Amino acid sequence: MAYPLGWSVRLQVVVRRERWPGGSRAGAVALVYPGQTVEPDQPVIRLKREERAEKLGGLPRLSLPAVTRKLPAIQPTQAHHLSDTQTALAVPALGEETVPAGLRGRVVDVTARGGVVIESQVMAIQGVLGAGPQVAGVLTLWQALDGGAARSIQQPIPPGAILVVPGPLSFLLLRHALNSGVVGIVASSIFLRDLEGFLHADLLELVNSPNAEDRQSRLPPLTIMLTEGLGSLAMPARLLQLLRCYQGRVALLSGFTSVRRPTLPELLISLTAAEAEALPSQKPDLALAPGARVRICSGDYCGRTGEILSLFLHRQRLPSGVRAHAARVLLEEGEVVVVALACLDRIG
Amino acid sequence: MQTQLNQQEGQAAAHRKDAAAANSILVADCGSVLTKVSLLGLVEGQYRLMARGEAPTTLAAPREDITRGIAQAINEIELVTGRQIIVDGHLLEPEQPDGNGVDVFVATISAGGPLRLVVLGAASPALTDLVSQAVSGLYAETQALPSPTFTASMAAGQLTQPGATPLPGVSPLPWTPERLALEWRRQLDRLRELQPHAAIIVGMADGPAGATPIQEACQLLVNAAQEQREKTRLFPLPVLYAAAPQYVEASRRLINGAGEVTRLDPLVSASNLSPISLAASSLYERSILRRLPGSETLWSWSSASPVATATSLSSLVRFLAHHYTMNVMAVDAGGANTTLLLAGERGEFIPMVKAGIGVGSGLGELLKRVGSQHISRWLPFDVSDEELRQFVLNTMLHPHVVPSNQRELQISQAFAREAILLTAEALKAGALSNFSPDLILATGGVLAHAPRPAQAALMLLDALQPRGVTSLVLDRTLLFQQLGAIATVNPVAAVQVNENDAVTHRLGTCVIPYGTLPPDQIALRVVVEYSNGRQVQVEVMSGSIEVVPLRLNEQALLTLYPAQTVDVGLGPGERARAAEEIDGGLVGLIIDARGRPLVLPADKAERQARLLQWSQAIGA
Repeated sequence: MAYPLGWSVRLQVVVRRERWPGGSRAGAVALVYPGQTVEPDQPVIRLKREERAEKLGGLPRLSLPAVTRKLPAIQPTQAHHLSDTQTALAVPALGEETVPAGLRGRVVDVTARGGVVIESQVMAIQGVLGAGPQVAGVLTLWQALDGGAARSIQQPIPPGAILVVPGPLSFLLLRHALNSGVVGIVASSIFLRDLEGFLHADLLELVNSPNAEDRQSRLPPLTIMLTEGLGSLAMPARLLQLLRCYQGRVALLSGFTSVRRPTLPELLISLTAAEAEALPSQKPDLALAPGARVRICSGDYCGRTGEILSLFLHRQRLPSGVRAHAARVLLEEGEVVVVALACLDRIG
Repeated sequence: MQTQLNQQEGQAAAHRKDAAAANSILVADCGSVLTKVSLLGLVEGQYRLMARGEAPTTLAAPREDITRGIAQAINEIELVTGRQIIVDGHLLEPEQPDGNGVDVFVATISAGGPLRLVVLGAASPALTDLVSQAVSGLYAETQALPSPTFTASMAAGQLTQPGATPLPGVSPLPWTPERLALEWRRQLDRLRELQPHAAIIVGMADGPAGATPIQEACQLLVNAAQEQREKTRLFPLPVLYAAAPQYVEASRRLINGAGEVTRLDPLVSASNLSPISLAASSLYERSILRRLPGSETLWSWSSASPVATATSLSSLVRFLAHHYTMNVMAVDAGGANTTLLLAGERGEFIPMVKAGIGVGSGLGELLKRVGSQHISRWLPFDVSDEELRQFVLNTMLHPHVVPSNQRELQISQAFAREAILLTAEALKAGALSNFSPDLILATGGVLAHAPRPAQAALMLLDALQPRGVTSLVLDRTLLFQQLGAIATVNPVAAVQVNENDAVTHRLGTCVIPYGTLPPDQIALRVVVEYSNGRQVQVEVMSGSIEVVPLRLNEQALLTLYPAQTVDVGLGPGERARAAEEIDGGLVGLIIDARGRPLVLPADKAERQARLLQWSQAIGA
């Protein structure tokens, strides 16, 4: 699956995202109106807590008409007032909660279910696999202590944060993060059994569900994005360095991964006007050409990144015996390997 | 699947040359993973394949336009032929005096996912089976949601019948009002989860539950529409009404804005499936094909409405069976779907499309259906569940990847076997065992791109398990799926390209003895008389595979001497001598004496040794 934004990392791109906390929720009220400017920590939706025991008891009656319930609309003036007086990361009143924007930008639409579509100039990082609904939180770098995972889980984790873990995740670390009130986690990789064990879900079914969005909302309340995928791969140094620059900022994370509606997880960090001006605006080139940075997505070197040195003119015979168009790739570790073009994703 | 031409299409069509007199034909097959484009042209008065190109199918961001993948594949053809076909993003039609452009463009599509159809009302297993049968030739998935009252009345009826087997998935607990309400809630959740493209209401209101199942079906749609008001894409849902005719108007009133009701003949038996097939086919075009990003441009390029790839392949298979008076079986092992088609010499036709089951994005569903043990049984090495699941997840997320090493290749071929097996099993009981194909056509990436022809042959023999004598043909050019669509605009071109270019990769003739094969003894003696007069005699042991050299374009006469309890198509122990010479192929004359049905040894070490032995014997 190609990265929907072209490359895995976009230093500056304008995106439109519907802010929606996941699932089918009754009683979502937009607190903003189209055209309004919002800040990342500003509440944009108010949710009533879901009451499952709906009025469906008893058998249906033949004469029941089809009724379309209209969403309660909010007036612009009223919404403005609310946005000024509430803060996103505050504890919500009993029976209702608010959803922060997560992005800085302009509201361009309010959807029928009460979601708020925001247009924003962001730095975007797309993962290769993830799980969990959209969440907003403060980007916090996990400082691993000496002694490995066993000791590192002793480190306190700030609640409400989106945690960046440079190395592979483990089941224990996920549990620790969940118990600490972290809302999201960005890590390089994890073993499949650990991820499925934590999610209590069959990941194959999850990404292949016709209604994947709904399924995501039934997962443990910790959104996960993996930048490298399954296994025990570390996060590339340049990606970690980039994330370090944005530490402490409010970011929007989505773990939603779907094969049916080709979607990958993403981390979006809104840029200030000054940042946007300073960063280069690039149109991602998807062509696999010499000099392109790529990730290998299958085979013995799966998950490794590198740079294309040259392309073969004719199809090459791979160790599998399959003949395919191929490239010579210089891996980050310095090794040069021949890889089928079909097994390469351009990342930059 | 006829549609009205819009004005733009009409103008384009007016400028096109008469398709039957075309000098050049461009045909695109947009698969779930790859888009294949072939250029056909007149060479010395015969239509031939001139060039072909391939590119990833572009349906998702950042290239959300199906014609971009087609254009990329056309670029490959332009590079090879020097002919300009796309100018400023437009297809150059008709062919220009300088040789640029093409006269005719046609397309087939299997990308875009299946049509999800939910069966409501008195959806008994028998009626659900009939609906599945009606849509078996389409990329469609059916799911039954019988009305709670119908399920309760069926369960109650069964309770009163001594020895009756319980309904599948239905608990024997009594149907209290609370349980009915709970079932009602479950169905709403299920409907939300399924996200159907359309619903079909069935049942004749003559059972103990009367018209209630029909009412409940309508009510379910109304409630689901209310609940999912935000998902405007889903509602109003197209509703095919194939239930009791006297309640059609009442149902229409009840459903109101939640659905668009189309009345069909009531579904009562296998003899009236056509209206449902036609309606579902039209829905597929409307809900899937026409909604693909870039479909408007694609339609404007096309000389005939693009069709589903399975529909195109069906046309070819039926044509071949009719034209050559033989039984033809075709298998298409695709990334998202697996198709098996049987066309008999007397006009019989049985299609079976397993939508969502494939060797690319369809791997997840395949693994879920068959389980990891069914996959690992085809592998000559140990593999853990975790490795298989990781392989599946990675392939689903990157369906375009090719196997990099031997291990991945064998795993993907094991999945292909199971995808074909599952599809074959879905054919109506007995349809496959009573059908002895004279010719088996194989297409789809995993078969066509198998590094060795023998690997493709072994996959087909393992999965289809044919009996008697048959021929295997592999579609390495991936043209088969396109030929049916070509035939709709230029039948001559389809026939000539089929004979000249598509059926060029014969794998060989296969002899498959069946019946009771005597263990550790000779099952069959084969005498091969080559055209040059040389004679070879081979004795084949039960449980083994042998290959007798018979190269492509070589012919030989064949005489078969089966053991007393062994059959080669004429009855146990009956000697058979071919009336005509048989053809050779890339593999040769294959004698598969492993028995039918093929039983793999239960012991893992023995099984792995056997798999290696068979693989070496056939040259895989």
